[in-house]
Amino acid sequence: MNAIECHQLSRRFRSVIAVDQLDLRIPIGTIFGFLGPNGAGKTTTVRMLCALIAPSAGSARVAGFDIQTEAEAVRANTGILTETPGLYDALSAIENLVFFARLYGLSHDQATERATFYLRLFELWERRNEPVGGFSKGMRQKLAIAHALLHDPAVLFLDEPTSGLDPAAARAVRDLIKSLRASGRTIFLTTHNLAEADELCDLIAVFRTRLISLDTPANLRTRLFGRGVRVMLAGPAAPLVATVQALPFVIDVTADEQTLFIRLTDPEHDNPVLVRTLVNAGADIRYLEPFTPSLETVYLELMQEGSAIGK
Amino acid sequence: MVRWERVKVIIGKEWLELRRSRGLLAGMLLPPLLLPLFTLGLIFAMGIVSDPDTVDIPAAAVDPTLANLSLEALAQVIFGRQFSVLFLLLPMIIPNVLASYSIVGEKNRRTLEPLLAAPITVSELLVGKVLAAIIPGILLTWLCATIFAIGLVLVVVDPVVPTLVFQPGWLIMLIFASPLLAAISVALTVMISSRVNDPRSAQQIAGVLIVPVMLLFFGQMLGLFVLDVIVGLNFSLLLLLLTVGLIWIAARVFQREEILTRWR
Repeated sequence: MNAIECHQLSRRFRSVIAVDQLDLRIPIGTIFGFLGPNGAGKTTTVRMLCALIAPSAGSARVAGFDIQTEAEAVRANTGILTETPGLYDALSAIENLVFFARLYGLSHDQATERATFYLRLFELWERRNEPVGGFSKGMRQKLAIAHALLHDPAVLFLDEPTSGLDPAAARAVRDLIKSLRASGRTIFLTTHNLAEADELCDLIAVFRTRLISLDTPANLRTRLFGRGVRVMLAGPAAPLVATVQALPFVIDVTADEQTLFIRLTDPEHDNPVLVRTLVNAGADIRYLEPFTPSLETVYLELMQEGSAIGK
Repeated sequence: MVRWERVKVIIGKEWLELRRSRGLLAGMLLPPLLLPLFTLGLIFAMGIVSDPDTVDIPAAAVDPTLANLSLEALAQVIFGRQFSVLFLLLPMIIPNVLASYSIVGEKNRRTLEPLLAAPITVSELLVGKVLAAIIPGILLTWLCATIFAIGLVLVVVDPVVPTLVFQPGWLIMLIFASPLLAAISVALTVMISSRVNDPRSAQQIAGVLIVPVMLLFFGQMLGLFVLDVIVGLNFSLLLLLLTVGLIWIAARVFQREEILTRWR
């Protein structure tokens, strides 16, 4: 079963199309990365999926509820961490959490119990009675995440959850997101931190008004760059490019000082022939390893392709 | 259907924020409490140093109930009546200040989106914010009017003065028109809040609301009318129509989609 399903979801603001015919199917228990440049329509998409604004066309179901006809049920079953934490500075940490929990229909006792649990989890318990206005950015971010989790939502929308956090706090948040997935929740993660998306996400969508690509991080890499190997040599790599390029299974080869980057169709099968050819050509091979382009490389390539298609 | 439990949660949060904001709290409480004291001081002074020109004030000339009063008592009645109208400013000013900080403040702090993402209707949110602003305004108005009423008995030179100052029209205005004026003030603030980013701008624009009250003030002083039951009821009816219209417009402005996509 899918936690989020969109069919031709679109949103137009007067003459500007913010989201165009978005189709998505995100299974329950998935961490879904939604990547795109600023102004791509990510926030508009999240707002539609949280039943905050209505689509101009298309439909979507979130946590089993229709975003248009069952908007309140959608909101009751989703949690959202917005770009800004959205906390009340004059109120203490526990007052903020209890207020939001009560808005989600929890009794005062239940709200206090949940607030206590998350304040302890995020190591904010000792400062629970202090006004949030005096909290650091990291503490505020933790509190905002706690707010999004208070009512135990099935689907969680997180916008830059580790933004402004120190490395240890960011690691704690990432671990929390993984544990949320393990407990069956679906996470819709909007981020510009591609290393984080790479680490966390089961599925990644690259989006700019339209969906440019949707797949697992590994498949995105393979689809774009094929599979490849990096060969470290004891001498200059450039003279060997032509020899390698002549091999029938090589898709493409580039040289950088003493390193060759070679894209192959089937490295497990082709590597022995490749190594033999290089040795016969006089190469001194230090080592050979699978070459995995970073998600950033994949993203930039996809954005470029998206621009080309757009033109 | 408004769920009052959620509305109470909103009101509770608004008042908690107000209690924590000491500057706003002092600014809200002190000026209204000074108004009855200032007015009583002035009326007391009228009883000691009256001006013979008072008998020539149009309001004194047109009201036969003021005949046969001593000059001091007449001065106290005239000033008492004029200044008692100013209490009708309080239910507009206080809710206006509270609502502008509540709505424009949320907009500035960008706390509205998480609030709108909760499973509450915008009606519940609006009702919560409106009541949180109106209730203190009305209660404070009635408190100040009570202080004024009790104080007046103590400072008058003639025991008949309070009965002539507290006309039935004034009481009708205080009981019926005060909540309406407060509702109008908040509705106008909601509408303005969608276009401004500073609570003070919202307060200043909503300041236009004092015009009808000042019309009452000067109209009575110039002897154009006496604030009797008929005037009080007519004025309240007019305010009721205005309230319905403005709340309808405010409710249209205060929509999730509108707030998230159009409010600047």
